[in-house]
Amino acid sequence: MRNPVLLHKTASQVQQELEACIGCNECLLACPALDEPLTIDVLNRETFGGPISAPVARFARSCYQCGACVPPCPVGLHRDAMMMWLKIRLYRSGEED
Amino acid sequence: MPALRSSSPYDYAADREWAGTRGYPLFFAYLKPRNLLRIGLGLLIAVAGLVFCIWYSRNGSDPTPDSLVGLIYAVLGTAFLLLAGLLYSLHRRSRKSKKVIGGLRSALGWHMFFGLTGLALIFYHSFGNFNPRSGTYALYGLIALVISGIIGRSLDRIMPRLIAKEASKALTQDGEDRIEAISQQLQAIVEHNTQRVRGLTSSSASSAVSAAPERVRSAGRGRTLHGPWDLAYLTLEETPQELSRYEQSYRLVPDRKSPLSRPGALLPGAQEQMAALQAVEHAMRREQFYRYVIRYWRIFHILLALVTAGLVIWHLEYAASLVIPTLFH
Repeated sequence: MRNPVLLHKTASQVQQELEACIGCNECLLACPALDEPLTIDVLNRETFGGPISAPVARFARSCYQCGACVPPCPVGLHRDAMMMWLKIRLYRSGEED
Repeated sequence: MPALRSSSPYDYAADREWAGTRGYPLFFAYLKPRNLLRIGLGLLIAVAGLVFCIWYSRNGSDPTPDSLVGLIYAVLGTAFLLLAGLLYSLHRRSRKSKKVIGGLRSALGWHMFFGLTGLALIFYHSFGNFNPRSGTYALYGLIALVISGIIGRSLDRIMPRLIAKEASKALTQDGEDRIEAISQQLQAIVEHNTQRVRGLTSSSASSAVSAAPERVRSAGRGRTLHGPWDLAYLTLEETPQELSRYEQSYRLVPDRKSPLSRPGALLPGAQEQMAALQAVEHAMRREQFYRYVIRYWRIFHILLALVTAGLVIWHLEYAASLVIPTLFH
């Protein structure tokens, strides 16, 4: 089991990872927190900026950062860090309200 | 994704305007129809088992763990617990299951369903009889295991939210590294003050030079050009040190009443930046701690499952030593 590390990434790093995503869905298939059908392009589009739809918000809140999405990624991306960015955005929006 | 290829990495101002789903509550639950079905089925089995257990305890001929009814409860409970333990583990490892989005989440739901229902059935199996040590310990182990699972599930909900809170502190509003931003600000303050101190030094030095009386130069000139030939000769003229004591000069060290005497006065804003830096470091440490909690609680749950499995096997061996001779007779 790999050691826990600080997983939050900066906006520019998240942007780079999102741009590198090939949309193969492997991370979503390996996720034990995702409870409803969701496509990777919707998730990628809403992760970085703009409005967050209800299914993506539910998924972001349900994600418990287990890291199961990282090993299956064929291009070595960190979906958990992207989900953390989504969580931060949701958290900040709640703080503003 | 054209929106991602903008020159600015993250438009925070635009993000504030969105009208989508907002907020991240500390406690939340999403009850889907599938989850409700599992909860309903689990409650039905648990309540039906409890009603029958109470009825059989009052009206039955042999309300004991090793009676036929008690053994049925035991077999059902053990089967449920085995399913709880194996189903999710096998599902996670099988390649076929990963071809369905949400398949693993469904398996996790059944894992919780079988674990909770199995514990209830094993509890009914005891019929309130806690005399055998092995069975009691196995039951305690199962209770601890289920409680650790419930706590773990709660931690899985709460901890990521706390991590998001701490990570939010470690990032600027634009999503960049706050430590780097603070370091740059500190560097700017240091550079600004260095220039200021240099300015003060050069201005004081130049003013001192301009304010110095002509006699200093003449004394200097006299000292260097016309040194005494007699070593016992003591000049009555003022030495340069004595001259500098009397002359008017600017002091770089302020007096106590001056606002410049306060700590950090020469580096305005540096204390605040250092405090912000420490706050970010604390936030990152807390983030790491929360991640450790999630991870090690999972390991604790697995270890507890192994210990409980050992206790159950011990109890099964004890039960077999009682049941098998009865069957042969």
